[in-house]
Amino acid sequence: MAINRKNIRNFCIVAHIDHGKSTLADRLMEKTGQVSERDMEDQLLDSMDLERERGITIKLTPVRMFYKAKDGEEYVFNLIDTPGHVDFSYEVSRSLRACEGAILIVDATQGVQAQTLANAYLAIDNDLEILPVINKIDLASARPDETAEEIENILGVDASDAPRISAKSGLNIEEVLESVVKKIPAPRGDETAPLKALIFDSFYDNFKGVICFVRLMDGTVRVGDEITAFMTTKRFTVTEVGVFSPKMTPVHQLSAGEVGYIAASVKSIEDTAVGDTITSADNPAKEPLPGYKKALPMVFSGVFPLDGSKYGDLKDALLKLKLNDAALSIEPDNSVALGFGFRCGFLGLLHMDVIQERIEREFDLDIITTAPSVSYKVYKTDGTELMVENPTHLPPMTEIAYMEEPVIDANIFTPPEYVGPIMELCQYKRGVYKNMTYLDKTRVELRYVLPLNEIIYDFFDSLKSRTKGYASFDYEIKGYEKSDLVKLDMLLNGEICDALSIIVHKDKAYERGRQIAEKLKEVIPRQMFEIPIQAAVGGKIIARETVKAYRKDVLAKCYGGDVTRKKKLLEKQKEGKKKMRSIGTVEIPSEAFISILKTDSDK
Amino acid sequence: MSGIYIHIPFCKSKCTYCDFASYPKEVSKKEAYFACLYREIEGRGIQCRGKTFDTVYIGGGTPSFVPAKFITGALKQIRKCFTLSENPEITVEINPGTLDREKAEAYFDAGINRFSIGLQTGYDEQLKRLNRIHTAKDFLLCCNLLKGRNISADILIGLADQTAEQVKKTIDLALAGGVSHISVYALTPEPGTPIYTDYLNGALPSDDETADLYDAAANYLKEKGFYRYEVSNFAKKGFESRHNLNYWRRGEYIGAGVSASSFMDGRRFTNTYNIDEYMNAVIVNKFPEISSEKIEGDDAEFEFIMLGLRTFEGISAKKFSELFGHDFFEKYKSQIAKKSAFLDINGDNVRIKDKYLYVQNDIILEFMR
Repeated sequence: MAINRKNIRNFCIVAHIDHGKSTLADRLMEKTGQVSERDMEDQLLDSMDLERERGITIKLTPVRMFYKAKDGEEYVFNLIDTPGHVDFSYEVSRSLRACEGAILIVDATQGVQAQTLANAYLAIDNDLEILPVINKIDLASARPDETAEEIENILGVDASDAPRISAKSGLNIEEVLESVVKKIPAPRGDETAPLKALIFDSFYDNFKGVICFVRLMDGTVRVGDEITAFMTTKRFTVTEVGVFSPKMTPVHQLSAGEVGYIAASVKSIEDTAVGDTITSADNPAKEPLPGYKKALPMVFSGVFPLDGSKYGDLKDALLKLKLNDAALSIEPDNSVALGFGFRCGFLGLLHMDVIQERIEREFDLDIITTAPSVSYKVYKTDGTELMVENPTHLPPMTEIAYMEEPVIDANIFTPPEYVGPIMELCQYKRGVYKNMTYLDKTRVELRYVLPLNEIIYDFFDSLKSRTKGYASFDYEIKGYEKSDLVKLDMLLNGEICDALSIIVHKDKAYERGRQIAEKLKEVIPRQMFEIPIQAAVGGKIIARETVKAYRKDVLAKCYGGDVTRKKKLLEKQKEGKKKMRSIGTVEIPSEAFISILKTDSDK
Repeated sequence: MSGIYIHIPFCKSKCTYCDFASYPKEVSKKEAYFACLYREIEGRGIQCRGKTFDTVYIGGGTPSFVPAKFITGALKQIRKCFTLSENPEITVEINPGTLDREKAEAYFDAGINRFSIGLQTGYDEQLKRLNRIHTAKDFLLCCNLLKGRNISADILIGLADQTAEQVKKTIDLALAGGVSHISVYALTPEPGTPIYTDYLNGALPSDDETADLYDAAANYLKEKGFYRYEVSNFAKKGFESRHNLNYWRRGEYIGAGVSASSFMDGRRFTNTYNIDEYMNAVIVNKFPEISSEKIEGDDAEFEFIMLGLRTFEGISAKKFSELFGHDFFEKYKSQIAKKSAFLDINGDNVRIKDKYLYVQNDIILEFMR
């Protein structure tokens, strides 16, 4: 059955976190009969365990639905879910490109929030039709009228006939479906023109090769077609095309305006980069669709197997994750303390967290990660220049003429009452104030230039805690600026532990050294001998703590009847020790390496 | 050499830290219990035919709480069913509040030659708090009844608000009673016992504080001529508990009675903790075991190391190779190297340095596979 393009609606849902995005998506699927209520598992779209547990969406997940509207016609809806967190905003813009409209869902008890704003602007920037929906009206504290007013005042979007719903109870969901039909435009495009399909996501399937998630702008594609892409010279034969309902379901063909997937036995993800345009090999389009800005890793961290012999397994895991996560960069690394591992690049801290958790869960590997770092430009006295993203690779200070660190242009949106605390925070983080704009009575935009290495510690957390969660934050890399940086080493029992070294601003070295030493004292368990912990810059000790030797670690009694039970106790203790890594004679829990991050609190 | 353990699961009342098989409310079942116990002893005797036993240990519970005839009866049964060595060590556990002259005489007549008294502390208010049924004075009276005999006292460290001075005074009291052996146990609050609540409430000393009490006890006992022959056991030379040394040397032993454990022919097995279950099994001529495990290979070697390193004598590499068929130093080369700072190695003998005896888990764990 060929689908009439005028009956297609491609849209996404954008929202502030926890305003009910995934619940609404579930409800839409249920109402359109995509999933029966009986089979309904909560929040279908968040299919990764991790997504469901954290209540966040990380990967894009398209779904196709059929809806018989009140005008008697049957419509095809393609809903493309989007991640909500700033680390993943590049993925949001990816999915927006594949849509004509966006449902903007706003919690009637909270009104317009920071991410509502950021995501709505993203959608507006991408020329999408905005369809506001007011959610959670069944709650006693709901203020639907005020919320509608806020949407109009702050976003300039007409909310007079915005559906007022409860995604949770299913109230007024029909209205949303009807609005999608009426307000979101049908896709344009020419089925007879040469194929142009935007790749907005992909993943690797062991049997089918790379599966590309596509939005067709022009042309059609079917099994057997010869295709290529603008960023490759290779040709591939299409082996399967299909749609998401929500499981991948093969179809006869995909035409302009549709959202679906293409498999063509592509073995390398490099040949079908996200953002690239697929076209016909024999009748190629003249030019590609505007691509995406390539997401660059900004935060780097060492990832090592807890058990050194699992290096190969870790490598496999990282390569597999990289297949559907172009933003992840990996490079072999080794550390005196931790052995062989990888230096990985991430978009931000949440991205780093997510990747680490996926390695541990999906691949069942215990890993150690080191404190994140950024990439520094080092100008040496001999005139050469190098990039250093691993503190261990920093040349001796005597060989360094000067260094530059990456800085960002930060936009912080906040209610005016938090301007003071935010400025204090930015000051503390070595920020340079640019300007401040009152967007309206309740919104201020603050602009700062901040060193990236200050952001990767606990900037988000501090910002949230200082503003009760009201402020939001967005940034772009500005470039590199000269900075007075030093390498801070940590010594355990008199020996430098390379995996704990960090690069910091000279003015902060003393404070950070002291904080890290204190933190290490907390996380390193007492052992058979006293362990001095020292922080040093250029060989000079700037802070010291001591982990006292323990005094009692013994089975008080062990007689005939105790042997089996006490052996079990010891086995348990041994299990605990397996989570530790020996650095020289000192045993360190694997979380110590990352915990040094969490020292930078509001002090 | 091998040992025999007999468990008596009766007490007048339960102490707050006790998680042993002891049932004050089931004392009325004692006749039936002992009938069954004798029956089990008979069965165990058959099971152990051909072996000679060097020690008997009657523990509990409170063996001295039940009439002496039950205890002497058990011993009689043991002599009937087992082969004992020429000069066996026969120990009975005694609560100071339960012994009288008659009982003591009966024990002497039955050949019991070692008396292990649960003193715990020399302070009446602490005894009361632990729900002990006796006073410090009772301990001295009890010792008086056992005058001239081989007496041991158990004392506890790690009690609420306990000071090093109190520990020393408790040792003094034990010495005044004429003991030649003292066990110093750190209180271990087990979940389910009343004292566990104290532990959760932070009323008990920290590990560091307990370690201080332990050091005070060990130093004081050394001064008084007691040497530490195991982590928690101190004796005058020649008064070590042969029965317990056998456990730490990984010798064989057979247990009878509720909750009794055995280690025989490479197998560890334990009887049920439930008196009724116990009796129901024994009545139909079944061993009342609830668990049994064959210990082999690395696991057996680990037991040998873990138990041996608790003692002053340590482990003998020669004995290790006799038992397990390969060289100790060869097999555990890297482990020994890693922990060498904490070990004394003399020829074929390996022991933990005194200083590290109380933090030995870390050393032992190195040898676990």
